[in-house]
Amino acid sequence: MSDELVQIETPFAFNEENQREFNELIGRYPIKEAAMLPTLHLAQKQAGYITPAVMKYVAEQLEVTVMKVKDVVTFYPMFFEEPVGEYVIRVCHTLPCALRDCKVVLDHLKAKLDTDIASETNLAKGTTADGKFTLMKVECLASCDVAPVIMVNDDLYKNLTPEKVDEILNNL
Amino acid sequence: MVEERRILYEHLDVPDINTFDVFRQYDGYARFEKAIAEYQPDDIAKMVMDSGLKGRGGAGFSTGLKWSFVPKDIKPCYLCCNADESEPGTFSNRYVLEKNPHLLIEGILICCYAMGIETTYVYIRGEFTLGKKMLDAAIKEAYENGYLGKDIRGTGLNVDIYSHPGAGAYICGEETGLIESLEGKRGQPRNKPPFPAVEGVFSKPTVVQNVETLCNLPFIVGNGVEWYTQMGPTYADTRSDPPTPDPNTGTKLYCISGDVNEPGVYELDLGLTCSELIEVAGGLRGEEVKAVIPGGSSAPILTHYELDTRLDFTSLTLAKSMLGSGGIIVMNETRNIVDCLLNIMKFYAHESCGQCTPCRWGTPWVRDIVQRIADGNGRKDTITRPKFGVAENGRWGDTGETEEIYEDLDLLESVANNIANVDTMTWNTICVFGIAVSWPAVSYLRKFRPEFEAAIREGKLVTLPIAEATVPPEENYAYQQRFVPKEFADL
Repeated sequence: MSDELVQIETPFAFNEENQREFNELIGRYPIKEAAMLPTLHLAQKQAGYITPAVMKYVAEQLEVTVMKVKDVVTFYPMFFEEPVGEYVIRVCHTLPCALRDCKVVLDHLKAKLDTDIASETNLAKGTTADGKFTLMKVECLASCDVAPVIMVNDDLYKNLTPEKVDEILNNL
Repeated sequence: MVEERRILYEHLDVPDINTFDVFRQYDGYARFEKAIAEYQPDDIAKMVMDSGLKGRGGAGFSTGLKWSFVPKDIKPCYLCCNADESEPGTFSNRYVLEKNPHLLIEGILICCYAMGIETTYVYIRGEFTLGKKMLDAAIKEAYENGYLGKDIRGTGLNVDIYSHPGAGAYICGEETGLIESLEGKRGQPRNKPPFPAVEGVFSKPTVVQNVETLCNLPFIVGNGVEWYTQMGPTYADTRSDPPTPDPNTGTKLYCISGDVNEPGVYELDLGLTCSELIEVAGGLRGEEVKAVIPGGSSAPILTHYELDTRLDFTSLTLAKSMLGSGGIIVMNETRNIVDCLLNIMKFYAHESCGQCTPCRWGTPWVRDIVQRIADGNGRKDTITRPKFGVAENGRWGDTGETEEIYEDLDLLESVANNIANVDTMTWNTICVFGIAVSWPAVSYLRKFRPEFEAAIREGKLVTLPIAEATVPPEENYAYQQRFVPKEFADL
């Protein structure tokens, strides 16, 4: 393999803080492979999304094949294999939220951000042109009593109306 | 009106109850201290067995019985706490994790003491970022105060608790799926047996318990079995002679959402009826109840004929539904059942893990059929076929009437029943996800068939008045074998 091919991707390595956290994680399990999900979360937090270089690095750290890491990454919806916006907006659209008009919230977000809804295989579709937001539909977020709800990165917003959505977007 | 009885949620709204010091002021860890001071591990296991505590995660399996399957001589043994709350309509664990995480830790400690477990993994769903943060902080405090770690309170007991984040897969709430996921693989469920109690995570005996189940333990130990069994009904299982008691004891964190005025979590004794619960939750938002989902979206739907069904494990099983995780979703007269089923089927088609062929292909197929009906393209056969039944001469045969064939409805039931057959309760898949798909599909169809037929006939979604939309119990196979269980004390 030529050097060019290898260097298409920027290599990935944990920064100091994440390395410390990773070292602590690995001690929790009798086998290294078990730390897969927390490690991938950590790597995604640092890199933004899971690139092939990230998978390679995680595989080396956990002493498994790259294919095994890929296997896991493709299974779980929370791991992204494509770049996403700075803010990932997850809109719940399962039954309890649907009964409380989550569609109004979703349509409002679509119009306001002028973007489509991302699908798992095409995240770019739901990402705004400036790369600031990614809009996606997700299944039940376990907050049905305060429906409709959305999650913006790690924060949950409850009892939404189009006005509240505007307020949230303005405050970001 | 039925009164709330707050036990698990009693101190939920106390400010700073998530901190160790405040939790201590409200009897925190006192029940654990009582357990290690007054009881042997086996005594605790016996108390849990006698209390009749049933797993609150969905299957409703006796916790004491589950513990008794764990071999005593194989070490280490693990505890996995299932905090992967993803069943649509369920949200009680989130509040425990976010507001009162020390209660969960105390429950885990009691379970670990009873079972001789030293390592616990709390599998938290990836979206619960706040819940994980609060739990991690509570675990840290518990370590600092000597309630976790090595040689706890000088008893020689060692317990470590680690939180483990999921990554958004519904199937990881299934116990063997959770175990696979915890081992760092795809969360695809395993064949049973061997059951996790014998061979679970890292091939070692594993106890998998829901958050709510574990939170019950401090109160069983603290207040005693007698106090606990007073709450909730104990039915008589008359399949055996003499009848054996079938306990539905304790309180349940009922999560009610949808068309009610005050959705939320209500902690009530097991065994109240559906209409009582709606009343507790501020009454219906709308004119009339059209349907109620009693136990998360997997549970077969109840119609307005069945609102007197008691919401406990036994009664709902006999009503051919289930209490599941206790997520109750109420729908009023404006809701279209085809539309609701479409929403749920989209969920299952998305969440099928893809391991077993009937489920991998069946769930999108079911979704597509419902989508077709909802879009107004449902297939109807124009040929009418003779209707078979008891003819005028009293014999089985052609009754002389004809019926229209709604091809898509037959297909829908057939595909769903081939993922898992709801009549024989056999599934062609490894885990019970199959039955979680076909239960809603078939029950919605059988109980609200006129609405499906109308959608096909009219070529669009039609919301019928409740009386027309619902199939009466006496005309419907879905309701058969239904009877009201007798309480053990009445025998």
